Amino acid sequence: MPVPQQLGRGNRMGRGPYEKSGLVQDSSLPPLRTVTSSYEIFFPFEDGENDEGDTVRTFPSESLAVEVKLWYLPYGTMDDDAFLWREEKRTVTVSMSGK
Amino acid sequence: MSRPLTTVLTTALAGVAFLALTGAVSSAPAAKGRAPAASSGKANSIAELVARYDSSSCVECHQDAHDQWARSVHSRSIFGTGRTAATFMTAIRNGLMTWPSSGVKTEKDVKVEHLMGCAKCHLPQLADATDNVAQEIVTTIQEWQGAVEEDDEARIGKAKDTLTSLNINCLVCHNRNAIIHKWTDGYPQKDAVYGSQDGEHADPKFPKMAKSAVMGESILCGQCHGQGPNFELPNPTQCATGYGSYLFAYIPEGGDKTCQDCHMRESGLGHDMQSYRSEVMAKKALDMHVVAQGVFWRDNRELRPKATVRVELTNRTGHGLPDG
Repeated sequence: MPVPQQLGRGNRMGRGPYEKSGLVQDSSLPPLRTVTSSYEIFFPFEDGENDEGDTVRTFPSESLAVEVKLWYLPYGTMDDDAFLWREEKRTVTVSMSGK
Repeated sequence: MSRPLTTVLTTALAGVAFLALTGAVSSAPAAKGRAPAASSGKANSIAELVARYDSSSCVECHQDAHDQWARSVHSRSIFGTGRTAATFMTAIRNGLMTWPSSGVKTEKDVKVEHLMGCAKCHLPQLADATDNVAQEIVTTIQEWQGAVEEDDEARIGKAKDTLTSLNINCLVCHNRNAIIHKWTDGYPQKDAVYGSQDGEHADPKFPKMAKSAVMGESILCGQCHGQGPNFELPNPTQCATGYGSYLFAYIPEGGDKTCQDCHMRESGLGHDMQSYRSEVMAKKALDMHVVAQGVFWRDNRELRPKATVRVELTNRTGHGLPDG
């Protein structure tokens, strides 16, 4: 979003329109351009012990369902009029056998 | 295969609320004999101001446009969802009343000039009213807020009706603000409505149709949808910056559409100009492409499965997203 500057001075964001003048940052998506972001999410794991007392890590699932949600936060927080713009789901699968 | 686990990626576009408004106040004085429709004397009450901008005669022939407009935020430009009205008061209490040189110590000191930071776009015709109207607006918002606190439905409804009677209606865009370059194109005439053609108009109050050079141009909307600080004000405010983004980001990228192309024609919404809450606008605005794959990452000797997710967001609007 265009982050308004408080009364056109310094590095503080202004919130009310009466104190907004200028911008200190703009994180909005620029028109006619594609913005790419990447995420890496490790599969959840569980650590246990084997009969010899060694720690053994296991992965409870070979699949991970990923939900990507694009939210618009008019007031900057999820608890105030947040608006869901897009939502997509993907399921990522790996083979624990390595093949 | 075991049951998939779920991870939610949340990409948030934080932003500010905005109104979809068209129209703005003219700061230029009206030339004698060629005055804008609204500037023949000052309205001294909300009722007088509403009467001066009474668009009810338009409905008979333009029912569809009226019904579309009635669904838009333009039809409740100083009330909004209630949040806009509340922000008027916040601007007074947290802004004007705290600034040493504003001349406002209490809400009773508020004059038209003090409200124009908001009203420039939310109610441009306030410039054609006396300070009594500014006071009436303030007391009506206070009455509404008090009624909400007391959960008094009758008082809430009455105050809300008064506040929503003030809006950006036909005459604001099709008369008052229809001409931007007044020295070039002349001042808006009292008996004319401005649109796409010249001719006669079957309304006794407005017997003339006149062509507005900018009715289909983005600059019409730019009067309110902003480039940044409104420097003509003693204490500049800033609400929308969408027109600035249109001019300095969209056009340089090769954009060639107008505000009206997307928000009125292609959307099919006509005078129901909408933004992100509209399903049709939200669908038009953005492409989201997600690619996800599973790989094994090696930490020293340990292999750990992970998902790599690439999200591509393409803004297909004529301005930054979000913006307004």
